[in-house]
Amino acid sequence: MTAQIAERLLYEGSEHAMCTNPLDDYFAMAGHRPPFGSPSTALWRGYVGRWEIVNDRLYLVGLSGTLEDGSEVTQASIFPDFPERAFAHWYTGSVRVPQGKQLKYVHMGYGSTFERDLLLTIDRGVVVSTEIQNNGEADDSQGQEGYGVGAMLIYPTKGRSTHRAQKDTDEGLL
Amino acid sequence: MNYLYGWLGAGALTLVVVLGAHLMSAERKSESIQDILEAINPERRKLSYRVLNDVVAPALAGILIVIAWPIALLVKVKEWVRPDDKDKRRDQIEKQFSVDSSHLKERLSVQEIERREMVIDPLHAAPALPFGHLHNTWCTLIEGLTSESELWSFSAIWECGWGARELREGYVVVRDGVPGAFLMTVWTQLENKK
Repeated sequence: MTAQIAERLLYEGSEHAMCTNPLDDYFAMAGHRPPFGSPSTALWRGYVGRWEIVNDRLYLVGLSGTLEDGSEVTQASIFPDFPERAFAHWYTGSVRVPQGKQLKYVHMGYGSTFERDLLLTIDRGVVVSTEIQNNGEADDSQGQEGYGVGAMLIYPTKGRSTHRAQKDTDEGLL
Repeated sequence: MNYLYGWLGAGALTLVVVLGAHLMSAERKSESIQDILEAINPERRKLSYRVLNDVVAPALAGILIVIAWPIALLVKVKEWVRPDDKDKRRDQIEKQFSVDSSHLKERLSVQEIERREMVIDPLHAAPALPFGHLHNTWCTLIEGLTSESELWSFSAIWECGWGARELREGYVVVRDGVPGAFLMTVWTQLENKK
């Protein structure tokens, strides 16, 4: 599994790579996930979300992706009444923002390590604490700063199947 | 000898079929995504990586298909006949979690739960309704309530297949003492909690 393209986070006036996928939790809790296409092994989830912290609250402010049938997915597709800003009240957990130079590349998920991790602890969409975790110093002073990947990308995919979003009520998970 | 030629011939034919199917279904690699992949892993820019990735690996895969063509054919036919299998397997893994009686915390009414779970956002970026963006999921849950149904809050520590421990909380419909359909309000890895 290839290292994955990160989500984007607007935080304290600048944009960062965010190695956490709060929208996956939303799909799981809602009991249905649109059938995103995976345009590359670097984007298995099939979308890139753009997030923002405003007044200690986590918001989704943009989404770009494609379904398996090639149709485009935007934030309005997921949150029709909130096409520009959706409060991520469903999310509880940690948000990881890697900083500094890469210490170790891991060819899987968000497994690569960086000099620092900014960790935002979120409780139902609200930031309750922030912490910088130091992971060490890179030997290579010329190395690349930050995660260095990801943007608001749209990758058209060829149609392979039709939209199959459905509620999983029969399995108990609503 | 003829048998060997026949076997390898069938393998070559399978290779052509598999390759054709791959070319027809594969998405064209976008240049921007190549740039991103190279940014993630600078090794990809090296000639040795490219030779390994673009020449050696495909050649080995091709040889393997020619030799063990029945397996390749079986995999391809399975993909064509039942393309949804992979999704189903993934869904089954997702759905292993279920609420049991030991997870139950407190019996509550619909009104009590809706009061607790009202979402108010100062930027009006969520429906001002119980469970906010998950309101429809809540409605679906309570649609199925009968006079015998009870609603309970639950809290469970769930161990995933790969060893991670998660905290899962929410509300569940209980009938005859047996928890059934549920809605989660918290789903988080415990390792991430400070």
